[in-house]
Amino acid sequence: MKNKRFLSFVPVYAFVGIVSFMAIFPFYIMMTMSTYLSEDLFTGIKLLPGNYLIENFKTVMAVNFLRFYWNSTYVALTNTIGAVFISALTGYAFAKFNFRFKKVLFYFILGSLMIPPQLGLVGFVSEMRFFGIGNTHLALILPGIANAFGVFWMTQFISAAVPSEILESAVMDGCSTMRIFIQIVLPIIRSAQITLFLLFFLWKWNDYMGPLVIISKEALYTIPLSIALMGTEYRTDFAARILALAISTIPILIIFAIGSKHLIRGLTAGSVKG
Amino acid sequence: MRNFSSKSATPYLLILPYFLLYFAFSLFPVLFTFVISLTNWDGFSEMKFIGLSNYVRLFTKDPTFYQSLYNTLFVMVFSIPAQIALGLLLAVLLKDFFLRARNSLQLINFLPYITTPVAVGILFQVLFDWKVGTVNAALVGLHILKEPIYWLGHAWSARLVTIILLVWKLFGYKMIMFLAGLSTISEELYDAAKIDGANWWQSFYRITLPMLQPIMTFVLITSIINGLRLFDEPQLLFMSESQPIGGPDHAVETVVMNFYYAAFRNFNFGYGSAIAYGLFIVIFFFSFLSMRMMNKGGESEK
Repeated sequence: MKNKRFLSFVPVYAFVGIVSFMAIFPFYIMMTMSTYLSEDLFTGIKLLPGNYLIENFKTVMAVNFLRFYWNSTYVALTNTIGAVFISALTGYAFAKFNFRFKKVLFYFILGSLMIPPQLGLVGFVSEMRFFGIGNTHLALILPGIANAFGVFWMTQFISAAVPSEILESAVMDGCSTMRIFIQIVLPIIRSAQITLFLLFFLWKWNDYMGPLVIISKEALYTIPLSIALMGTEYRTDFAARILALAISTIPILIIFAIGSKHLIRGLTAGSVKG
Repeated sequence: MRNFSSKSATPYLLILPYFLLYFAFSLFPVLFTFVISLTNWDGFSEMKFIGLSNYVRLFTKDPTFYQSLYNTLFVMVFSIPAQIALGLLLAVLLKDFFLRARNSLQLINFLPYITTPVAVGILFQVLFDWKVGTVNAALVGLHILKEPIYWLGHAWSARLVTIILLVWKLFGYKMIMFLAGLSTISEELYDAAKIDGANWWQSFYRITLPMLQPIMTFVLITSIINGLRLFDEPQLLFMSESQPIGGPDHAVETVVMNFYYAAFRNFNFGYGSAIAYGLFIVIFFFSFLSMRMMNKGGESEK
């Protein structure tokens, strides 16, 4: 594809440029709007940053935003670490062991991918209430640790990336199964772990419906729940509300800026097999 | 291979935690929801078993269910093809024309996908606001519009804004999927085509598209499943005192919104569960249909 004439490049660059601009422009507007006094926002488009950022920041912090931040981080992190570990462990068994009912169980996991998460929501909320953890973070952390997508992913990855010979010689040397898993398998599949970590963290951090139906105590709110409800309380203070959105988005942006190479490499490796 | 034989208990111990957690917190709730769907229950008082009445009501006496299904499908019919076309085009162009800037352009176009849906809903509420909105300001400023449009106040424009939002949010994810698919196509195919005198469009049509068919099936099915579950963005887009559920004329009231209000606002757990199962049947039907269609398309190619 190197002998393109210059003219054919122009529309291509223009198209990609416009699309990329559209993708990023709302973020830019969000950042600049968060630096103005709310009343000033009504006077026209704000393309350059203003000088009201600190004041808006104080307004946001006044509603316990740090607390919600911590809640989201803690819930997403515990769930994600658990889910990645369980996925790898289960994937290891499916990829490297032979056992009875292996095929049936694997198809069972694949089939469960078809079930939308909302299907069991009413039952789950009732179950959590029955166990007395209906309004706790535990009820947000537990679902999704057993993640069918994660198991499928890890099974594919481990059978392709981890050579059976290494595992066999480790067995000969008398290594226990858990030691083999932790010291040999986990380091080899690091990129798959990072990919799953990014995806699971993103899903849990962004989850709105789970906290919406489970959490009713304000001290337990996660970020999406708090900004959704802050919307109704802050109807008047537009700028503070937009700053809250900007702040809630930043950690995800940083994590993905660092991890996006791994994510794309991981997704590619998965699709080669799948 | 002692440890890897079928006699050992080891593999069962390895998969045990997954299945215990899955049964406790995924499968049991799903089955329990089905039991609840056969009752009249508010979540607190005693359950009253009423057989299939909830389902009879859902499928024969509830126009809201069909209306919400129509709204959801309407939004999907326009947004999914646009997302796929835009994502595919961008992926192909990035691969062929942007060797050096590829990684940063990839990230930029992926940003909308990773942003918290709640934030996206509110952000679009602000962008399309009647008075403060950037969109109106820009269109009036450029003399495209004489008067600002009340985007979130009419049924047609409410749907349009929702479609724009979904295309904006999701085309980057499609792009990443197609880039992953493209990287599996051997360069030799393109080189051979070039030797045979094929131009860029010909190799796109004859090599890229057919080779991407498996990933296209995957993208299409996941789009349909996720599209039918639409909730966060329209819920937030029209979340204000002055708006009815799902915006003007309930134009963007989706099935899951319908489910949420029935189960968790009106505390009709039984009927809410029936809506959830109704949605599951619809998702199952459409996944099955699209899998059949894509497989047929694949066979006729060969």
